[in-house]
Amino acid sequence: MPGHLELLGAGIVGMFHLKYMVPLLIGSLIGVVGGALPGITITMTVIVVLPFTFGLEPLQGLAAMIGVYVGGETGGLITSCLLGIPGKPSAVATTFDGFPMARKGEPGRALWLGIWASILGGLLGAIVLVAATGPLAELALRFGPWEYFALFILALSMVAGLVESSLAKGLLSGALGCVVTILGNDPVMGQPRLTLGIEWLEGGVPFLPVLIGVFAFAQIMTDIERMGLSKVAEPLEKAIDLAVSHVKVLWDIVSRPFLLLWSTFIGLVIGVLPAIGGSAANMLAYDQAKKFSSRPEKFGTGIPEGIIASESSNNANVAGSLVTIMAFGIPGDAVTAVMLGALTIHGIQSGPLFISQNAALAYGMFAAYILAHPLVLIMLALGVRWVLRIVIVPKSILFPVVLVLCVVGAYALGNSMATVYVLLVSGIGGYAMVKFGFPLAPFILGVILGDQIEINLVRSIMTDSDPWLFVTRPISGVLLAASVASIVAAVWQHRRMQRKSAAAAAEPDTDF
Amino acid sequence: MLAASLFLYALTLGLKDNPLVPIGPGYYPRIVLGVTAILALGVVIADLLSKKAASPPPREKLNYAMVAAMFAVFGLYCGALPFLGFRISTFVYVAVTNAMLERPVSTKGYLRVLAVALITTVVVYFAFERYLAVLLPRGRWTDF
Repeated sequence: MPGHLELLGAGIVGMFHLKYMVPLLIGSLIGVVGGALPGITITMTVIVVLPFTFGLEPLQGLAAMIGVYVGGETGGLITSCLLGIPGKPSAVATTFDGFPMARKGEPGRALWLGIWASILGGLLGAIVLVAATGPLAELALRFGPWEYFALFILALSMVAGLVESSLAKGLLSGALGCVVTILGNDPVMGQPRLTLGIEWLEGGVPFLPVLIGVFAFAQIMTDIERMGLSKVAEPLEKAIDLAVSHVKVLWDIVSRPFLLLWSTFIGLVIGVLPAIGGSAANMLAYDQAKKFSSRPEKFGTGIPEGIIASESSNNANVAGSLVTIMAFGIPGDAVTAVMLGALTIHGIQSGPLFISQNAALAYGMFAAYILAHPLVLIMLALGVRWVLRIVIVPKSILFPVVLVLCVVGAYALGNSMATVYVLLVSGIGGYAMVKFGFPLAPFILGVILGDQIEINLVRSIMTDSDPWLFVTRPISGVLLAASVASIVAAVWQHRRMQRKSAAAAAEPDTDF
Repeated sequence: MLAASLFLYALTLGLKDNPLVPIGPGYYPRIVLGVTAILALGVVIADLLSKKAASPPPREKLNYAMVAAMFAVFGLYCGALPFLGFRISTFVYVAVTNAMLERPVSTKGYLRVLAVALITTVVVYFAFERYLAVLLPRGRWTDF
């Protein structure tokens, strides 16, 4: 049995083969452009790329998606720094210092601080990804159905609790996701249930069209309702001088090792937590950088610390998300949820056995993640100006094209119009959820995990009907206790925030 | 949601248990739907209480008419796909949507709309049919 590093080496060498390098390269390029386009999220970009991967080998498709993910996280900083418009939610905090620095006459420094921080954060994250995924998967192999059930409940309760809006809505959103999975034949005996006489529902609701519909429509329709109201990217009137000393920029970053490591750590932890994503990571890392800084008053005026914290955390977040999906089969965010779907299409089950049963694929994914970083770096060094020109493509062109690709993606899943109708219904549902203040992340996690929750519940009861085993088995008990603790903590956090906002409403806000 | 979860819960009561397994096909759905109903009730009560406590802040004027129109056009597109086929439906859909989102005011504008629709349709069709082996829908009425 080859060792860990040998497998990784083989994965990296294999990734240089053209059949893998080309999808990785194209994925990274599309990711950079998608990430830079304001209003087009990385999730939407990966959804657009998904149907193109159906005809590819699993590793080719996953390499393309990982390229999109890494490219998107890095590309989002371009418009944040140079136009003051975040390309994606996980680059919002980059705008706070990136744009002021660019306006002070240092656009090249702002841009490259972000790019280098992204690359370093991402590569530091790769160390954890490669080192931690295997041991975590081995730990998960000790799990029985009780532990899996408890783990999935913990994932759902954490996501529901971590959403910013109402806790009840977060929990209800997760429960609704589980409702989607109970339609169709029951997974144990295949008995039809709740199909309402619709024949194709017997196979259950496929989760990818639901995911595509919910995320694509929620994003596009909320953008359409604001078209003409919000600030849009303007063409650059004059050439921006992006020349910079890379040695100085790198020194700016490595001379702040604690900031880089702490922000990377935050990104990794947020990435490991299910379905939260880089939008939380960059804000939290920025906030932490400000708290630990000796000059917090300078944050927001264009200092390197703000850019380094935000960008290193959001790229490390990608590695964290990949750890969760590869070790436990739980998506770290919406992008990894789409990857999970891509694996399912190819008949590959992610989870604790994923690495041992698909070593070449798993180490190929590690390799793709590692190599995507230098590829993105080279791409941006060569063509950042081109990216700036592409981001002014009007949404009136982008949105119909994206929706057509969503339809093609849904249709290609089963060569059936039924999945397209699921897409339509999910799209309407997703938009309605957003308008009524329901978070989407718990819903999607419910759709993905609902089946697994049921299967493990049934398996555990079929093995031993004693319900106390869920609590008395040590790992299961700890996980369920953590679920309860996460909900209690969320209730406490929400009440604290309500008190704070009530106090803030009473006095004028003078803070940044 | 409350009504839907209660309706589905009622349907699960009609599911017959299987003697081969200790729990029937309705066991898990009843838990999920029960939890959903309770949470939905909680949200309803919380909403009612918060409405009593404070009036909502003034809302930004958003273009809901355009959103409704976009959904309607997308629904028509999905409905037309099996009858007109991918190529015709997609061309019309992209052209109409593009024109709705950015109304063409000159000949150049109309040409842009047609060009975007044509390029999207042709590129997507060839990419998927020729290179990715995905057979896109053919029209029942047009056989195209």
